[in-house]
Amino acid sequence: CDKDFEEVNTNPNASTNANPDLLFSQAILKGNYVLDRTYFYTSYLGAGMYVQHFANYKDASLAGMGDKYGINDLYQGFYFTYLYPNVLENLRQCMEGAEKAGHMNKVATARIWRVLHFQRLTDLYGDVPYKNALKGYPENEFLPTYDPQSEIYDGLLTELDQAISALQAGAPTFGAADFIYQGDVAKWKKFGYSLMLRLAMRMTKIDENKARTWAQKAIAGGVIEQAADNAAVKYFNTGQVYNFNPVAYEIGAQDYKADAYGDANVEGGKFSKAFIDFLRDNNDPRLPVMAVTYNGTTPDTTSSIAKGLPSGTLNKPNNFKTFSEPNPATILRYDAPLLVLTNAEMSFLLSEAALRGWTNANTASAYFKNGIENNMRNWARFGAAGVIAEQRITDYTTAHPLNTGGSFNDQMNQIHSQFWVALLLDELECFANWRRTGYPVLTPTNAPGNQTGGVIPRRFPYLQTERSNNKTAYEAALARQGADNLLTRVWWDKQ
Amino acid sequence: CSLLCCISALAQSNGSNPSEISGTVSSTVSGQKIAGATVMLVNNNSVATTTNNNGEFTLKLPAISGAIELLITHVGYERKQVRLQAGQTTIAIQLNDARALDEVVVTALGIKKEKKALAYAVTEVKGEEFTQAREINIANALTGKIAGVNASSLASGPGGSSRVIIRGNGSLNGDNQPLYVVNGMPIDNTTNSMPASGNGSVGLNNDRGDGIAGINPDDIEAITVLKGGTAAALYGSRASNGVIIITTKKGVKQRGIGVEYNSTLTVERPAIVPDWQYEYGSGQYAAKPIDQAQAIAYGRLSYGAKMDGSEVVQFDGVKRPYSPQKDNIKNFYRTGTTFTNTVSFLGGSDSFTWRASLSDLNNHGIVPNNKLNKKIASLSVGANLSKRISIEGYAQYNIEKSENRAGVADAAGNPNWGTYMIANTVDIRNLDPGYDANGKEVPWNAVGFASNPYFVVNKFKNNDDRNRFIGNLSIRYNILNNLFVKGRVSHDYSNFKYTGIVPTGNLYFADGYYQNYLSGITETNAELTVNYNTKIIDDLTVNVMAGGNQRRSVTDNTNLDGTGYSVPGFYDVSNVVSLTTSKALGRLRTNSVFGSVDFSYKNLLFLTASGRNDWFSTLAPQNNNIFYPSVGASFILSEAFQLPVWVNFAKIRSSLAQVGGATPIPYALNLTYSLVPGGGHDKRPLQMITNFNGANSGQLMVPNQNLKPLTSTTFEVGLEARFLNGRLSTDIAVYDRRTTNDIVRASISPSTGFNHALFNVGEMSNKGLEVLVSGFPVKNKNFNWEVSYNIAYNKNKVIRITDELSTIEADISVNRYAFIHHPEGKPYSTIMATTGLKDAKGNQVYAADGREIASPTLVDMGTGVAPLTTGITNTFNYKRLSLSFLIDGRFGGKVYSATNLYGTRMGLHKMTLPGRDGKLTVNGVDNGGNPFSKTFTPDQMWSYYNNWQVLSEKFVYSSDFVKLRQVIISYSIPVEKISFLKMQSLTLSLVGRNLAILHKEADNIDPESTFSNSNAQGFEMFGVPRTRSFGVNLMVKF
Repeated sequence: CDKDFEEVNTNPNASTNANPDLLFSQAILKGNYVLDRTYFYTSYLGAGMYVQHFANYKDASLAGMGDKYGINDLYQGFYFTYLYPNVLENLRQCMEGAEKAGHMNKVATARIWRVLHFQRLTDLYGDVPYKNALKGYPENEFLPTYDPQSEIYDGLLTELDQAISALQAGAPTFGAADFIYQGDVAKWKKFGYSLMLRLAMRMTKIDENKARTWAQKAIAGGVIEQAADNAAVKYFNTGQVYNFNPVAYEIGAQDYKADAYGDANVEGGKFSKAFIDFLRDNNDPRLPVMAVTYNGTTPDTTSSIAKGLPSGTLNKPNNFKTFSEPNPATILRYDAPLLVLTNAEMSFLLSEAALRGWTNANTASAYFKNGIENNMRNWARFGAAGVIAEQRITDYTTAHPLNTGGSFNDQMNQIHSQFWVALLLDELECFANWRRTGYPVLTPTNAPGNQTGGVIPRRFPYLQTERSNNKTAYEAALARQGADNLLTRVWWDKQ
Repeated sequence: CSLLCCISALAQSNGSNPSEISGTVSSTVSGQKIAGATVMLVNNNSVATTTNNNGEFTLKLPAISGAIELLITHVGYERKQVRLQAGQTTIAIQLNDARALDEVVVTALGIKKEKKALAYAVTEVKGEEFTQAREINIANALTGKIAGVNASSLASGPGGSSRVIIRGNGSLNGDNQPLYVVNGMPIDNTTNSMPASGNGSVGLNNDRGDGIAGINPDDIEAITVLKGGTAAALYGSRASNGVIIITTKKGVKQRGIGVEYNSTLTVERPAIVPDWQYEYGSGQYAAKPIDQAQAIAYGRLSYGAKMDGSEVVQFDGVKRPYSPQKDNIKNFYRTGTTFTNTVSFLGGSDSFTWRASLSDLNNHGIVPNNKLNKKIASLSVGANLSKRISIEGYAQYNIEKSENRAGVADAAGNPNWGTYMIANTVDIRNLDPGYDANGKEVPWNAVGFASNPYFVVNKFKNNDDRNRFIGNLSIRYNILNNLFVKGRVSHDYSNFKYTGIVPTGNLYFADGYYQNYLSGITETNAELTVNYNTKIIDDLTVNVMAGGNQRRSVTDNTNLDGTGYSVPGFYDVSNVVSLTTSKALGRLRTNSVFGSVDFSYKNLLFLTASGRNDWFSTLAPQNNNIFYPSVGASFILSEAFQLPVWVNFAKIRSSLAQVGGATPIPYALNLTYSLVPGGGHDKRPLQMITNFNGANSGQLMVPNQNLKPLTSTTFEVGLEARFLNGRLSTDIAVYDRRTTNDIVRASISPSTGFNHALFNVGEMSNKGLEVLVSGFPVKNKNFNWEVSYNIAYNKNKVIRITDELSTIEADISVNRYAFIHHPEGKPYSTIMATTGLKDAKGNQVYAADGREIASPTLVDMGTGVAPLTTGITNTFNYKRLSLSFLIDGRFGGKVYSATNLYGTRMGLHKMTLPGRDGKLTVNGVDNGGNPFSKTFTPDQMWSYYNNWQVLSEKFVYSSDFVKLRQVIISYSIPVEKISFLKMQSLTLSLVGRNLAILHKEADNIDPESTFSNSNAQGFEMFGVPRTRSFGVNLMVKF
């Protein structure tokens, strides 16, 4: 009586065969927060507002939860909800398939890409499921325990180490399915070592020795220092929404709409005063590249009229239109590339490493200068409006050398203030770097409804359904890490 | 009056007895004399006689002492006992027609059975109960009429779905609604679009109706509700929630063609207007807006200055008096109208009967620009092809068209949101038409997401077209007189086209959004049964039935989704910038064999047993079938025992039935991979794990090969009785229904890599009591008063989930203010809310600025499903005039009101008045446990009350209500006086639905206003207001 049932119960619109290449392609796009509000909630309204790149006038309960330090489970839990199934599980199955086929380069590449995301996840929330995560299928383990962040870091570093060693020139790669390096094994190694340096430097406060060991290993392996090695994903302004640059699409369609002309911004967003002031006060040639001020319907890049919205603003100011916001000719271009990890970031980390005496391949001030130059030149990838004349770059670096005569902290301040400018848009990295270094020094806001007593948050609260759906593990994490609020510090963020 | 006669007879039972008594026996109803009736002496059946052709009798009496009691019986009439008065020698006896006792009802598989033989509860409602005061969705008309049937009409506007629950919710997230059956065969009742309770970002969040709404009440002869599991035992798993059997009207043998015409015109107005505060006007910090920008910023905030009538600028830059605007609800919603016309024709001969009907329903909703049109044509035929072969067929075709269904719940694209939340000094009509000269939405508040209601009704589109065919055909062949075989096929096919447009120029999603789906839903059943009945010995008959069924269900969906329009304002698929197309073909099949055997002994004991085995295509081969049995008995106490004279009929029944079921989700056994629609990226395809719940939902579900069928077991005991010569009757039932191994889709920690998993979960119990009492307190020639009262209590409890889960999160409200869980040890659909953080002594903990700090733990606020339901219908007939009204109520449930939460955040709720004068002081402790006290200044009140959103327990109310649900006043016009029109009857009625709420506890809202028929019941949020409707109904028969 069940003749044909297997055929009836076979989905004609899908396949039971996973193709690791195609899954990897998707994991790259999804990993870049495209669609589904991930960038918007997590990076823009959350981390980007904490580090005062952006500001908005919404109240603390919803879209203003970043700028005003509110709690919103939907927005703050979103990354947790989204990342595991859509990126990490995708990559797990991609790796499983590649391993079956014996394609070890693919396994290693996917693993490196996955490390990037696990680090973002743990940096944002602290302890998260890692070792026992992603076992819903086929193991049917539905209550994954949360791992201490220190162990996650150990694990991620080990994974990176192994994956980098596993990469072999000549063996099959993802090829064109790899939107970042088109299967270039040497570049993936650099990417791997760059991630290793990122992970290593994150540990400077909590375990300086370990940080040094891993940083030196990464530097010896070779991190991204050339523009040609930058990890970037190409996007287009035609076709599907997922072909659009996710940052441009998310903040463009959700806040800086094409016909808002600086006034009808849906979520009331602008660049923050702290950010614009820093650029303007230092006569930064990146200011007109990044920011515009609307004059009627015309975006005006004149630096002298640039002005940031004070973080913590509660109501729409009457002169809202006159505040600066992202440049539609660069940042908001749907065909802008998405820079995942660049020579600018590495230069600043190398500069700090040199400052700490962990490398002597170059001086801290040389790396510092490289960082600024690299970043200024990288803006050219955003199109004509992003091109900064070499002379202006030279003028800026000449005017702003690393003050090698200053204290360690002075130099850290300089390096990481530049890091903060250079990594605009990579808000998760900026938020983590700011928490680690404390630079630039930001003035917190203290708006009604804030949940921190007027202190900049140090993490996102967990997804609240974890309380009911994974209760024991959730409670164990709290017992270890501290209360599930905005102020509890993650492991590496030692006071 | 026979009641008084009885009592007086009892009072006077002494004196000597006569030797002979004579009299007549006649029918109560027709007055006709009854021939052949047996008249005998009670307790001595040797003293007996029968009536002659004139209904007369003479009974010779032996010498006995004491009162004389006669027992009169005749086939087709109720037994009657009469006690003679002292010295009485003649008597006129009237017998009640016993048709009610031998009432035949339609049961599972369309089999007609004597009601008294049934081992389970059955209620029949005649079609005419639905054709005067009409509901657009017939299922909503069941509200309050039947004990144990909980029909809630949703706050989703005309043409929305229904939620009918019989004897509680048995499944945590399977379908809990009954199986709907037309003429013996199932039809589809899919809800096309269940509105989301949580944050809906696109703004096309509306209910597009369900399957049962496609039935025209005028085509219904009767609705039979089979409540118990025994019904299910023959229909299979989908009947475990009870069965609603619709029997359509048939043609009748008559001369010429009969014509019936039914016309109803009703007008609708919002039934409830919130009682907001009108002391303080638009503003945020106890001050009036000073310019247009502020007026917009405060557009949905009523935390301003005291209203003083001064000229204050509003959102559009125009100055108007700072005065209360109490009529925004009345002014925004127009008067809705519903005009329904049905004409039917019928006729027939000895060998062929037919009926055809055409119906047109035209509704203009209260939300401007909302329209619904439904045309239904039906044809019913029956033919006796030969002495042994007969056929019956039914077909109907629906053409339904709906325009601009209103969004519900979250703000974007929901016209109700702004209408309720607009600041109380702004006249909503000034927002009309909602767009400027360039077609752009006019901002009225700080948040583009809170749409301008007029922009929504004028520019958004929510249009759907449904074409539907329902047909069934049965052929019966009588092999012998007591052996027949019957074959049937039925087919229900709906073609549903939906286009949703979020237009360019809207404030929250400037690109605009396009959604179009084409959905084909097919349900096909083929059944073959053999039926044999015989007499085994005298007084013992048996009926045996065996058969098989194959069910095929197919849903075939094509979805087009896209953002952006190349040419603004042109809403065609060709103009969508980023378009994705996806297809989903869902197929499932259930094969079944079943059989039943019924014994009947002496018309006093009935036994029934049945068994069914199902094979489900959605389960793995090793687990895909289940056998389930049922047994039942019905015992007629009044036949078996000598009961007191005032008991005319009594029956006790009991049954035990089990049903097996499977997941209705196809392809849940294996993980599959889909290509990301739309051509991929950089000329490369993209693949993803197939998303659950829509191609791009980002939601993954763990496949489960080990699922086994669920079982639902119901035990029932019932008592039916009629007293006082039928003046009073009652039907009482108690039941215990248990669902084990329920197949549940539960949300799991996303860190597993998946958002959902399918489990077989522990156990859920529903226990309940149902009482129906009806009677005729007054009954005479010109005046009748009929009462029917029902009350039912259902106690639901989630006994166990799994070893891993102790609760199932069923739903989350907008902004996660409140949750609905199915927690172990608590009822299904328990509302979980946030509450204030308290110290050990119970003092509220305050933040430095005086806000209450919320506790991290959710609190259980009670169930969103009311356990107690009751209804009473009174009908008065005086000559040609009749008045009937239905009052119903629900008790014991809770509702989370987002309307009140937002009303508080926005300063409209009266709760937000304390402190506006600077006199509010809160006392408690601070975060460190030290005493805390703060007196607020008026400008801080917005911040203080806005924070109450983190205390959602304040907005959970008792959902108790008592409503005057329906009133009908009819007058039957004496057509014989206008005989030239050749009418058989003409009835004119005044009708009303939802006329008044006689009792409720929730502020500002209709406690019944949930907007979705999902398994998360208990959220209220900016639905389409419930309407009060009045109208006229005309029924003519030629």
